[in-house]
Amino acid sequence: MAREIEFRDALREAMTEEMHRDERVFLMGEEVAQYNGAYKVSRGMLEEFGAERIIDTPISETGFSGLGIGAAMMGLRPIIEFMSWSFSLVSADQVLNNAPKMLYMSGGQFGVPIVFRGNDGAGGQLGSTHSWCVESMFANVPGLKMIIPAFPDDAKGLLKSAIRDDDPVFCLESERLLSLKGEVPEEEYLTPIGEARVRRTGNDCTIVAFGRPVHFALEAATELAKSGIECDVIDGRSIRPLDMDTIATSVRKTNACVVVDQSWPFASIASEISAQVQECCFDDLDNHVHRVNNDDVPAPYATNLEQAMLPHAGKVIEAVRSATYNL
Amino acid sequence: MRPPVTKAPVKQTNHKKVAASKNDAAKGKVKSSNDAKTLKHWLREMLLIREFEVRTMQAYQNRLVGGFCHIYSGQEAVAVGTIAALQDDDPIITAYRCHGHALARGMDPYYCMAELFGRFDGCAKGKGGSMHMFDREKHLYGGHAIVGAQTPLATGLAFATKYEQEVIKTSDHTRVTVCYLGDGALNQGGFHEAMNLAGVLDLPVIFVIENNGYAMGTSVARGTTLADALYRKAESYGMTGHLIEEGMDVVTVHDQFKKVVDETRKTSKPDLVEIRTYRFKGHSMSDPRKYRTHEEEEKWNKQDPIDHLSHDLIKAGELTQDEFKKMTTEIRGEIRDVVKRASEAEPPPLDELYVDVHTGNWGPFKGTTLPNMLRGDNEKTTDQNQESH
Amino acid sequence: MTIPITMPRLSDTMEQGTVIKWHVQQGDAVSSGDTIADVETDKATMEMQAFDDGTVAEIISKEGDTVDVGATIAVLAEEGEESSTAAKAEAPTETDTQDAPAEQPEVIEAPSAEPTPEPVAEQSAVSQPAATPAASPASAAGHEHMRVTPVARRIADDNNLDLSLIHGSGPQGRIIKRDVLQAIESSKENQAAVPPAAIVTSDKPTEMAQVVTPVSTTALVAGDHTAALTPMRQTIARRLVESKTTIPHYQVTMKFNMDPLLELRKSLNDQLAHHEVKLSVNDFLVRGCALAMADHPDFNASFGGDHILYHGQVNIGVAISLPAEKGGGLVVATIRDADLKSLRLISAETKVLAEKARTRGLTVEEMSDATFTLSNLGMFGVEHFTAIINPPNSAILAVGASVQLPVVRDGQVVVGHEMQGTLSLDHRVIDGAMAAQYLQTLKELIETPTMLLV
Repeated sequence: MAREIEFRDALREAMTEEMHRDERVFLMGEEVAQYNGAYKVSRGMLEEFGAERIIDTPISETGFSGLGIGAAMMGLRPIIEFMSWSFSLVSADQVLNNAPKMLYMSGGQFGVPIVFRGNDGAGGQLGSTHSWCVESMFANVPGLKMIIPAFPDDAKGLLKSAIRDDDPVFCLESERLLSLKGEVPEEEYLTPIGEARVRRTGNDCTIVAFGRPVHFALEAATELAKSGIECDVIDGRSIRPLDMDTIATSVRKTNACVVVDQSWPFASIASEISAQVQECCFDDLDNHVHRVNNDDVPAPYATNLEQAMLPHAGKVIEAVRSATYNL
Repeated sequence: MRPPVTKAPVKQTNHKKVAASKNDAAKGKVKSSNDAKTLKHWLREMLLIREFEVRTMQAYQNRLVGGFCHIYSGQEAVAVGTIAALQDDDPIITAYRCHGHALARGMDPYYCMAELFGRFDGCAKGKGGSMHMFDREKHLYGGHAIVGAQTPLATGLAFATKYEQEVIKTSDHTRVTVCYLGDGALNQGGFHEAMNLAGVLDLPVIFVIENNGYAMGTSVARGTTLADALYRKAESYGMTGHLIEEGMDVVTVHDQFKKVVDETRKTSKPDLVEIRTYRFKGHSMSDPRKYRTHEEEEKWNKQDPIDHLSHDLIKAGELTQDEFKKMTTEIRGEIRDVVKRASEAEPPPLDELYVDVHTGNWGPFKGTTLPNMLRGDNEKTTDQNQESH
Repeated sequence: MTIPITMPRLSDTMEQGTVIKWHVQQGDAVSSGDTIADVETDKATMEMQAFDDGTVAEIISKEGDTVDVGATIAVLAEEGEESSTAAKAEAPTETDTQDAPAEQPEVIEAPSAEPTPEPVAEQSAVSQPAATPAASPASAAGHEHMRVTPVARRIADDNNLDLSLIHGSGPQGRIIKRDVLQAIESSKENQAAVPPAAIVTSDKPTEMAQVVTPVSTTALVAGDHTAALTPMRQTIARRLVESKTTIPHYQVTMKFNMDPLLELRKSLNDQLAHHEVKLSVNDFLVRGCALAMADHPDFNASFGGDHILYHGQVNIGVAISLPAEKGGGLVVATIRDADLKSLRLISAETKVLAEKARTRGLTVEEMSDATFTLSNLGMFGVEHFTAIINPPNSAILAVGASVQLPVVRDGQVVVGHEMQGTLSLDHRVIDGAMAAQYLQTLKELIETPTMLLV
């Protein structure tokens, strides 16, 4: 049985279920407790679990992300919420050095079973510093896992898997998707990390997208179908591990590939997928892999400029037409 | 096979309050609170660290040790004295000058040296190096190479001990986390965030500033406010600051630090302790020490913690010159043997490149395994990350 | 005045040519009509003529160079002009000066006074390409402009498609998947039925764009080696695949009693020996085939898609194999108006053409416009074989050797000579009965060979 719930409620269900299941799990971050979460994701959790497990922190990303890592080294399973992944940059040393590398540096002695989660990507006119898409930059680091759900059901299933995972998992959510409603099963389920999901099938072009851009891809595919161009739309769901099998299988069928990635183009997720597609599907390609990224500029404030900078369905349509020689 | 462990567990049997004034050490008297056997043990530990570091320097010059290498010589009284004041399961965490803490905590010098040599037998399988001494069994949560990075981690360790005790009740006693940092780390933001969090969340953690006077080549006075009273920074975070001025005297360090530990264990509140000490060598192996005067070095060399304690013990009739010589010779032989074994040990197999990146297998990654240090006849440790609740 | 000598367009499909051999060198005087070079085209190695009188001022393209049609390969200085000045003048940046010519030779000679040892690496680098055979640069040049997407290449390989025959519709002529799929589709159509529009009416390869060529995909094993296709081999490959896959071939064989013809031949050759005339069996057959056309005009015709083209001349093509040292392969020399020419003339013409084909190569004209082809492997002892039609012909006759064997003549088994001739025919033009009737006519002519003399 499934019911329709919002993306943010799916996230909360994942956390509460896992907190009931494993008392080592706790939630920590700015405004997660008394304020009910800056984006209401953790609404009601303070009442449910108490201040010992739902913990407000000062505005102190280095401090509380490091605290989470230390606690995880001791075997707890922290969920550290960044109000925005943009703010994680001030704790880059903790997030990028300590969490993903501790197991390696300690020769297998100390793993860091932690989840960092929060909003990633442009909100709406948030300007340059608050519109970070950290996926390309952070996914560069070995030792971490990265999930980026696009629908409520995956948000719940993936976050539950992340909390149970023994590796550090970065969960990238989108402020713009938090109110999105979708069917989520009543019964408990887990969505495996590292498996993409084919959201739509077609033989002419493969569109790979992650997180919010999945919706742009689906919108584009619907529009393209009207002119007879049918697309496979792959919702990557995980960036690390990357499900190249699903992508490659699709590209071998369609011979064309467009990657939609909301981060900057240089050394990006889209670049990585382009490289990997060309490595494993070279003889299947009928065109170079096309990338749809944020423009290579800081996020502007003005509405029109921001929209021009971000990926959207129109850009995806254009890319697919080019990739399939249907301009 | 594990070679014999050099450190016997220190029993905190003496709860007598110690009048630990700086004059006690200067008088050269052995404090009645610690029996001679304990003192001789501390002497031995300090000698072990000193000899280990001498051979480390030699090995570095022989290219057996690579990368950055920071020598602990001169500061032995801090590691030995503070760790002696702790319970065995109190977590400790430190920065990159970590050989001394590892040895004082009881890490077998062989695994420590093998790590320096980049051998598979190293405590981190040769993948950490000089700045990353970890020993899960001994509750050593690492040397950490980025200045100040260990301070937020320490709050996490303290948070976890408290959580285990108060929330999930898997622990029945208070564990005190000790976080070592140099005076240079005081100027890192992470330290202040960690102090603030520890204060706000009432975490049982003691931040120990090993004030050796220099952040690399920058003197404390040049880089830090309140340079003559670093411990007062505690006030900003609502905690008590303590100064252990006689940081070259292991007895003073132990006794004064013990009081702080006891207090923290009782109140579960954080503390900041400044211990004045001196590193006899440069910041790292490549440091010519141009920023220090010869006179200053001479002054501190005269306070050598090993000379200090051995002199006191001999003077008090607890140790003969011959016994001291024998102890020194024994340790020299032991470390020489360690160097020999470590230099003959195998480097990590190439497969190890892909081990310990992730806990599980995916792509090229091959899960995680424990180092030999935690295996063999010490199989009792279970992987905390693997166990399920 | 200087005159650039450019790579001539020596066939209608030629876009590039390879200089095989220069017959002149710098400083040589040439007259209009002189053969100055041998040039290999996509069809053959051809002689290249000078069209002006003058002195060779500069050789620009070395032997083995492949250049585009129209590219300057040499410079000719007109009479009265110093060749060295001419060469200089040809260079666009040079200004006219008067003092240069006299000094030029000295400048060239100067370095030879001191024997400068060359570095070893340089020597070996120089010696390697010096002997580069003509074929490899030519074939390399053939692929230079081909843009193909990886999947298009893979599908083409899987389906044994020759990419060089496919027109690329992508950017800059890139061959994309769609182009290959369309080529497969149209080749299937060609094989399945006889779609008039798809039929090739001339030998222009541009109109054969969608022809399928089977290729070996076998991996190389030890001892194997590859050799680049010469332009001629490429042409053979393309045209015969096109013929075999687009023309509905069928064969009809007949045996001919050769005794009378051999007898007549011997008699004539004996009588004409002092004229150095030596008629071959093939000469009789050329004449026979040509004469049979008069009764069977359908054999002197080409399929034209929506019409059949009946040719006004009877031009018999004679297949000539080329010696291996010339790169092998075969050409078809044309005996024009063979029905109007005497045996003696046919014989002489054939000899000249064969000799030229095997030494210097035939001109395009000498290879064009055949309306029927004769292929004879009798001299190799072959008794029977079938041939592939040489488009745009409608038929080809493959003849074997005249073999001595027991035959039945007038109810008696006797020793006689027989020859087998097998027609390959384009069913779109010629039906089986028509083929039989043509062979019947030919048989009468051959078995009554005096008919061939009038």
